[in-house]
Amino acid sequence: MSDHLLLGKYDLYWANFFGLMFLTAIEVAAVGSEFNDRTTLFILVTIAIPKFIMIAAIFMHLWGDKDSKILTLTALFPAFFIIVMVLFIGLTHPEATTGLPEWCRPGYYNL
Amino acid sequence: MSGDYHDDDHAHPSAFGPHDWDHGAPHNSWSPIIMAVGIGIFLYTFASVYSWGERVDSSAIPLVFLGLLIIFTGLIIWWRQDYTFDGSYEPKSTGAPFRNIEIRKVAMWVFLMSEMMVFTSLFSTYMRYRFGIASCENVWASGSWIVNSQTVSTGEAVNCFEPASTLIASSMWHIAPGAINTFALIISSFTIVQALRWAKKPFGSVDEEIRRKRVYRYLGSTWILAIIFLILKMTEWFIGFYVPEIGFLNIEEHDIVSLVDEGYTIHANHYHPHHGWEDTAIADYWTQAKIAENGDLYSAYLANMESLGPSYVTTDAVMLADIRVSTSTFYVTTGTHGAHVFIGIIGLTYMTWKAWMGKYTPQNAVSIEYFGLYWHFVDLVWVLVFPFFYLY
Repeated sequence: MSDHLLLGKYDLYWANFFGLMFLTAIEVAAVGSEFNDRTTLFILVTIAIPKFIMIAAIFMHLWGDKDSKILTLTALFPAFFIIVMVLFIGLTHPEATTGLPEWCRPGYYNL
Repeated sequence: MSGDYHDDDHAHPSAFGPHDWDHGAPHNSWSPIIMAVGIGIFLYTFASVYSWGERVDSSAIPLVFLGLLIIFTGLIIWWRQDYTFDGSYEPKSTGAPFRNIEIRKVAMWVFLMSEMMVFTSLFSTYMRYRFGIASCENVWASGSWIVNSQTVSTGEAVNCFEPASTLIASSMWHIAPGAINTFALIISSFTIVQALRWAKKPFGSVDEEIRRKRVYRYLGSTWILAIIFLILKMTEWFIGFYVPEIGFLNIEEHDIVSLVDEGYTIHANHYHPHHGWEDTAIADYWTQAKIAENGDLYSAYLANMESLGPSYVTTDAVMLADIRVSTSTFYVTTGTHGAHVFIGIIGLTYMTWKAWMGKYTPQNAVSIEYFGLYWHFVDLVWVLVFPFFYLY
């Protein structure tokens, strides 16, 4: 990304910036449009993923730099670990949330 | 890199700064240790002063300020040492897997990795609770709270999940602070990238005075946007705002009530479900169509009403909810993010001043890059917080 150009003529940072603004506008408009829950969630996830990638890849230089690959793996390692933990431990225990013991519910320690 | 010092060199850098960067990287700054001690004192004493938002022990307040003073002292030492950094010494990692990458850059990414761990924990907690606990809306619509007598008249609450979006996404005015904040953070990510770009322009390719102005203006803009973010956050949480009558848009004069004033607090174990549920419980839900669908529940409801008498009709139509899990996940996650913005403001304050003094050059512009990584990460987290905590 040494020349910061997209398709040889557009400034990469400006293009990324306008793209993010546009996607955010769609996001807010989608909620204002009062779709049902599933549709809203689908739209929000569909928009959040490219926004996330655009910021990480272009603003944080995780794309195109010589050290991008190892730094991306560094950043993703804990996320991978926790997601696996949630999916395979949290979600397979049906009472993980409703059957919480009193000592791990809000208010128990009077804090 | 102590080996870089010459035998006849007696100008050892001070542990309290400023450094003598021409003689290699100093290893003896006390700043991190001092700040760690200060943060420890601050957090420990601050936690004992407040409990559930109420002040319970005023005697620890002097120690809170002592902690802040120590943190500030550590910051001043750090900034004094950084201020003279001219980029002449930027050590690189020698070991796998980060060989030949700048050590400070690797350190920043490892730090961000730990940050990622914090936020993914918060997100996974939210996700698990959100999908694991029945939403208040569904509990209310099911009518089970009437059968179980979980109403204002009995004082018994339903344990259910009430997402903040129920309040925030109820109108465009409620969404406005969060939406403006989203745009503010995206713009600030862009401004800090531009500050880096201008700071990195090679000598001779740009007038130095223009470089100085561009860098401090872009960093200053980032600072202002971060301040706006926190002001709007406070408005949304605690203050609320007034919407005047706008005739041509057919908008009537009204107040946007803050989340706290709505009763959406971390100790809301007897939460009055939001305004939509109270006065419509009978008129809206218990319509003839719903009676046909839920005959048994409606019979139970009528029986309950008869036994309690007409004076209970109103209060029996109001469900009580224990929403402490939902509010805790919301405030802890968005609050942790807000704390990161606040820390960013502290860093930006110094960096803007340094830029104002014309101290950023292509050699030491990497400092902006490393701070920028942190700032983009804060933006990145918000990209996920906003849709899943504010909109959905």
